[in-house]
Amino acid sequence: MNAIETSQLTKIYSGLGKKATRSLDHLSLSVQEGEIFGFLGRNGAGKTTTIKLLCSLLKPTSGEAFLFGQNARTRESRRLLGYLPEQPYFYEFLTPRETLDFYGKLRGLGSSERTRQWERLSELLDLKDIAHQRIKSFSKGMRQRIGFAVALVGDPPLLILDEPMSGLDPVGRRTIRELILRCRDEKKTIFFSSHVLADVELICDRVGILVRGQLTQCGRVDTLLGGHVDQVELVVRGIRAETQATLREQAEQHRILEDVEVFVLGSRAAANDAIRLVQSGGGEVVELHPIKARLEDYFMREQARHEEVPRGDVA
Amino acid sequence: MRVLAIAHNTFRESVRDKVLYVLLLFAALSIFGAKALGWISVGQDIKIVKDISLASISLFGVLVAIFVGTSLVYKEMDKRTLYTIISQPLHRYEFVLGKYVGLAAVLALVTAVMTLSSACYVLVLGGSLEAVYFLAAFLIFMKLLLVTAFALLLSSLSSPILGAIIVFCLYLFGHATGVFKDLPPQFEGTFAKQMLEVAYYVIPNLSNFDLRSEAANGVAVNPLFVVWVLIYGVSYSAVFLLLAAAAFQEKDL
Repeated sequence: MNAIETSQLTKIYSGLGKKATRSLDHLSLSVQEGEIFGFLGRNGAGKTTTIKLLCSLLKPTSGEAFLFGQNARTRESRRLLGYLPEQPYFYEFLTPRETLDFYGKLRGLGSSERTRQWERLSELLDLKDIAHQRIKSFSKGMRQRIGFAVALVGDPPLLILDEPMSGLDPVGRRTIRELILRCRDEKKTIFFSSHVLADVELICDRVGILVRGQLTQCGRVDTLLGGHVDQVELVVRGIRAETQATLREQAEQHRILEDVEVFVLGSRAAANDAIRLVQSGGGEVVELHPIKARLEDYFMREQARHEEVPRGDVA
Repeated sequence: MRVLAIAHNTFRESVRDKVLYVLLLFAALSIFGAKALGWISVGQDIKIVKDISLASISLFGVLVAIFVGTSLVYKEMDKRTLYTIISQPLHRYEFVLGKYVGLAAVLALVTAVMTLSSACYVLVLGGSLEAVYFLAAFLIFMKLLLVTAFALLLSSLSSPILGAIIVFCLYLFGHATGVFKDLPPQFEGTFAKQMLEVAYYVIPNLSNFDLRSEAANGVAVNPLFVVWVLIYGVSYSAVFLLLAAAAFQEKDL
């Protein structure tokens, strides 16, 4: 069974005197149980709208969403879900201990179970030292840890995290990354949106790319990247001027480092041609190494490809 | 359980809010200052203290109901604390009901503190207290529950400032619904008269909850009247709460 399944999910925002805006456009998406799914897109692409629809904070204009086969509009589906909003806000007058207790009550947990959850989560998220301080005085990183703890109250099998790493310092990002991986080890499914593509590349099994409310790509990170031509860096020495001129025309980048020259070529085929050219011209190939395609480059290409199409506001 | 958790939190938030204590301080000043008016009216001072005390309980109670009530839901939307709550396995009406019960508990505390301190003051001044004084305070509490339910409805629909203005208008008109009915003859047959008649039947008559003169003069009240007022108050509050829950049910957050 899929942890998340959406079918033609659409959200149009409209209001009195306001132009209707299509934020999400017929999104059909499946997230398998036990995987880490990265949901990518620029600001305003519809990521948060999707997440709010999954968490029943918004009502879809059309289409449906299911969590473990249950309609996301039902209360039962929310029992299976832990949600961390972007920049989570909690009652400032409460302490972390009181906050987790409150959410435990909302999940219908008994007193001893709530205590057990506090012991487990305060240990996991290092909350013990700040257990009795009011949230009002906390930094962003501390609030994010409390947000993560709240999402884990009741041990839900699915975590939906909206930009969990945004605004955090490298240590904070690493903490969240490790927590996500730990949750996967516990067989949880994690669906998260992020701008930090390096983190997504590091931990996600699959990614989906949302451009202007439409899912343009979805698949395993290595499959998506593998479909694109890798760059190759060719380091040569002792080439003649005419060979250098030809190679510079073919290369995407060229630089001279002491006695060697570096050419960055756009494909393996181009690299093969370049090698033949160097060798036939009496030059020497010093080094040859592929530059692995990065998710960020792929993401930027996808954005550029789809943003050429005019945006479809709703009449 | 879930309703109580939200109610408990609302209560805790309100009693940790300084505004509540500022209002209580003003209420105390007006109750204890009532003696000054008593000096002006010779021989009537205890009556005046009782009358002003009940008026203060009503006014400051309603200020708490309006200022806290109209921001109850709106503040949660504005501060986005709602996101992590509504995504929990609870019905949205449970949230609305929890907020209401929490504020009702705050109002019960505020009314009780003001009633007991004013009662002690009356005794210290050498006056006597009858059961009708406490009954009058209880009916003021019932009125506050009604106003709170309306404030909560407004909180689901509008900003706190607009909501506060509308609720305050309801409070003022609610004490003067008779004006809508007993119009001068030149209104006869006009559209305005029809509209004002509708207002007369729709706006709750808050004067029904007013036993101030009976309390000041120690006059007993017919128990049937009290039961009728209770049913009247609970019915209006229930309708406003149902509307608030319905308004919140489909709201995009």
